[in-house]
Amino acid sequence: MKKDDFKVHPAVLDLKSDMEKGKVTRREFIRYSSLLGLSAAAAASMAGFPWSGAAWSASVKRGGKLKIAAPVHKVTHPAQFSWIAPSNQLRQIAEYLTYTDGDNVTHPYLLENWTASDDLKTWTLNLRKGVKFNNGDSFTADDVVFTMNQWLDESVGSSMLGMIGDYIDQTGIEKVSDHQVKLHLKRAEIGIPEHLFHYPALVLNHRTFEGDFIKAPHGTGPYLLESYREGEQCVIKRRKDYWKTGADGKNLPYLDETVFIDMGTEMAPMIAAIQSGDIDIIDFSDISATEAYQALKDDKNVNVSPSTTNQTRVLRMRVDLKPWTDNRVRTALKLCQHREKILALAYFGQGVQGQDVHVSPKHPEYCPIDTPKYNPEKAKQLLKEAGYPNGVNVDLAVGSGWKEIVRYAEILKEDAAPAGFKINIKTMPNSQYWEKWTEVALGITTWAHRPIGTMVLNLGYTADEDGKPAAWNETRWVDKEFSELLSRANGTLDIDKRRKIFCKLEKIQQDRGSIGNAFWINVWTITRKRVQGVKAHPSLYLKLDDAWVNA
Amino acid sequence: MEQARNTETDPAKETPVDENILGFGPGLKHAAGILFSSKTAVAGLFLVLFWVLTALLAPYITQYTPTEQDWKSPNQGPSMEHPLGTDELGRDLWSRLAYGARIVLVVLPVTENFWIPGGTALWGVFASLLIGAGLGLFSGYYGGWIDEIIMRLLDAMMSIPVILLYLIIVAAIGASAVNVVFAIAIVGTPGVARLVRSLTLDIRTRDYVRAAETRGESPIYIMFVEILPNAKGPIIIDAMLRVGYAIFAMGTLGFLGLGLPPPSPDWGSMVAKGREFIMSGSPWAALWPSLAIASLVVGLNLLADGLREELTRYQ
Repeated sequence: MKKDDFKVHPAVLDLKSDMEKGKVTRREFIRYSSLLGLSAAAAASMAGFPWSGAAWSASVKRGGKLKIAAPVHKVTHPAQFSWIAPSNQLRQIAEYLTYTDGDNVTHPYLLENWTASDDLKTWTLNLRKGVKFNNGDSFTADDVVFTMNQWLDESVGSSMLGMIGDYIDQTGIEKVSDHQVKLHLKRAEIGIPEHLFHYPALVLNHRTFEGDFIKAPHGTGPYLLESYREGEQCVIKRRKDYWKTGADGKNLPYLDETVFIDMGTEMAPMIAAIQSGDIDIIDFSDISATEAYQALKDDKNVNVSPSTTNQTRVLRMRVDLKPWTDNRVRTALKLCQHREKILALAYFGQGVQGQDVHVSPKHPEYCPIDTPKYNPEKAKQLLKEAGYPNGVNVDLAVGSGWKEIVRYAEILKEDAAPAGFKINIKTMPNSQYWEKWTEVALGITTWAHRPIGTMVLNLGYTADEDGKPAAWNETRWVDKEFSELLSRANGTLDIDKRRKIFCKLEKIQQDRGSIGNAFWINVWTITRKRVQGVKAHPSLYLKLDDAWVNA
Repeated sequence: MEQARNTETDPAKETPVDENILGFGPGLKHAAGILFSSKTAVAGLFLVLFWVLTALLAPYITQYTPTEQDWKSPNQGPSMEHPLGTDELGRDLWSRLAYGARIVLVVLPVTENFWIPGGTALWGVFASLLIGAGLGLFSGYYGGWIDEIIMRLLDAMMSIPVILLYLIIVAAIGASAVNVVFAIAIVGTPGVARLVRSLTLDIRTRDYVRAAETRGESPIYIMFVEILPNAKGPIIIDAMLRVGYAIFAMGTLGFLGLGLPPPSPDWGSMVAKGREFIMSGSPWAALWPSLAIASLVVGLNLLADGLREELTRYQ
């Protein structure tokens, strides 16, 4: 590709001037401009940072074996993943087009770079050249088109369809040349590079993939699949002709072998195994790590690195069911959250307080907003005004497998009693909660990490074209002004203007929205001290191409 | 559990029926005599009495309510303020244990504000006795196809593992104290029915039953006035063991998240929650309720075993 093919998106220049005026922080500049196709290195140099990609010393050691405790699920089609753990195994064999790092900055990966049209409706993806699948096939545009068609094929049933299906269909994917693909969107969308790193988005080999990846494990990644035994273990071995080179100038990966061992779901044996050195890493992507955090935080042989996430537990009230139809009742319950106490007891203080707004302080467009104080007197007053002078009896549905949610519920029950709420906690197995999470009147739902604020607001708090609440709108809360502001935010690139809209969105959600949220949680990447180069990630994705072990 | 089930039917085999043993009224003194002549039974009695008294006096012997949260001191070990320490929300473990005993032995919380006397485990066993004894009497007295139908149906129920049956029932009708009573009753019925049937088969051949039949008494009269009172010895001992199993079942259900909903001081769910903190060095919240369940169940078993030994010796 010639240098002048690469056009800097005009918004990047706006962003740069915003940064220089102090309106955007440097980190946000890097984040947003890398989304728009500027390489992270270029963005960093525009922001005045030295880029330290693989600068760290050549003291890496080659060879060795890594043992990871992780569930080994039955898998066939990567696009059908509904758990992160299998993606953590197969992402060592196949790869993604992009890579979103622990700071929410998205880099090109199997892409050389990408560019977006000014209206954000046409995206040009330039593929990395010289990449080969582990069976010798070259990686080309056909593979990208094939993979994307798999996502959008309804018979595959990929969760990617829900994520990208409303802005692109199969006719919108155009192969321009062997190394260029154009996406023609139905509407403006800024999140594409991040969507390409969603965990089911592994790039498949169009020549050999026939629906079962384990039968034809042909990816572009650093490892070869040696064996895969569901419920037991998954063994992967070093590949010799991987396209990335390490700090020592030779091909990655450093490790000879990695074994994923299924140790079940009991935490105690896994904790004991990492303490004794029988395993090096525990994969916590699909299970709660609070117990391991408690047990291992002071262990001298173990590194516990936290990541702040945009994961939260949402106290959601269905606005089409009594008594939650009345905003005064909703506000009253929100006022009964003693956030400091809830965070301290339910999650051991490992996170940040929530503000009854589904936008996290770690979201780039977050606009600082006051944290409401615990105020049972005011809540009691509000209940009285709403016509419940003697208090109100409500059922609170929680999944008993989420320990922090049960604790949240128990604390809320205790602290809401003075205001007149008589909360009956209805526990059920998590699977049963997922069967009716959008149906219960009052419940606490866990929401996953999403790197951009608009992603979650679009999912949870909007209506479709007919005015019916969207599928994941669990509270049925649809607010005209909120929806209008949100669709404006969706099409607004300028981070400063975007944040101004978010100030209003957050205020509306805090004042008359349908959720309370007391905390945003941390997650932990827990490794033995000898493991090097495994970086903490808010989604707990494991990247092992440049991991190595210190004897 | 398997072992436990084998012993369930033992009282019937080992204890031939005697109308005077464990009888009330004039027999009460006799029963007390038997009780105190067995060291095993006395040890069991003390354990059981300890928990019964704790349960009865819970409001007077605890400083805190079982739900009071002191959020500055979660997961504490034993101290002057909290004799057994605190749980993960800073609640006093002794208070929770004592009020937990109440739910098992003394009160059945029907709703948040309404309860009836008699513990959840006791009501469960009582209900299974009522249904099981009725079915067993009919089955044993009439015999024939009534016997066949009732027993085959109960056999079918017994073929399902007990824990699984509990899980199915509680998962289907929801977790609450009343539903736990239902579950204990349903699960216990087949065992009681088998026991009562075997006793009935024996007793109905006795002369006094023949005499009643000759007098022209109704079958109901014969079953409930002639046969049942004469079978009560083994039934009472079986019931005592059964209370133990019921407490065990409550613990299991609570541990699996299907017991009484939080924040009620259910022993099983206390263990389940406390378990999370064992590895981080606070074993108290899991330890005490485990000991409580164990001591109460052991106490009931010792009591029943001691009684049975003494009874068989007197034969």
